[in-house]
Amino acid sequence: MNWFGILVGISTLFIIGLGFVWVIRGERYFGYLWWPYAMGAGIILMVISTSVTNDYVCALLGAMGASLLWGSTELKEQAIRGELGWYPFRHEKIQPPFAKIIQKWKAPSL
Amino acid sequence: MEINFIGLASAAATFLGVWIGHVSVRKIEREVERIWIPSALALTFGIALELASFRTGSLILSTICGILGITLLWDWLELAYRQPKRVMKGHAPANPGNSRHAQILAAYPDATTIDWLDRDPRGTPFSEDELHAIKDGTK
Repeated sequence: MNWFGILVGISTLFIIGLGFVWVIRGERYFGYLWWPYAMGAGIILMVISTSVTNDYVCALLGAMGASLLWGSTELKEQAIRGELGWYPFRHEKIQPPFAKIIQKWKAPSL
Repeated sequence: MEINFIGLASAAATFLGVWIGHVSVRKIEREVERIWIPSALALTFGIALELASFRTGSLILSTICGILGITLLWDWLELAYRQPKRVMKGHAPANPGNSRHAQILAAYPDATTIDWLDRDPRGTPFSEDELHAIKDGTK
């Protein structure tokens, strides 16, 4: 009887659920150009997880990292959903550092 | 210092599970007329993976099975309920060649074959008139 995977799986479900919330809210107030920062944060969390000795913390940090990475690929579509009126739209977005450069990159969408 | 690989295993299972689920739920729901069949398969394999994660002694295998199992159980909900609802609302494009979708197109005025998300963000919201023009232009 090994409860580890099921408990990590259920926790991951909540981490992904939280992903819905931050992608929707984050895009509304900050805009989708933050995607490289979300992607970077996700990768950093995965790297940090490799040096954590507690197995539960390690597994959940990995799942949070993956969720941030996935969210970074969802931000562009969320921006379109906002413009289509499926979610409340806010004109004033808090732009990320180097927004002008990021704008020239193709935002990921999987 | 020793490297703990459990986090990387859980990250890979989470990312690939969400990605593959995201793409295949849309594809399968669009193509399959008897949607209960893939739904039942997702439910069955989801439960089977949870049982496998319960029985294995390896923490890494248990993590991968646990996360992929929960992902498949979520895919069951997506296939059976959530994605068909998006098609009814017009938020996901209907496939007129699929008889189940053809019925949705006939019964729900918001259902459409347009893929609304197939565009780039432009920074300003669409007006009602613009939305109608897009919808009429593609019909």
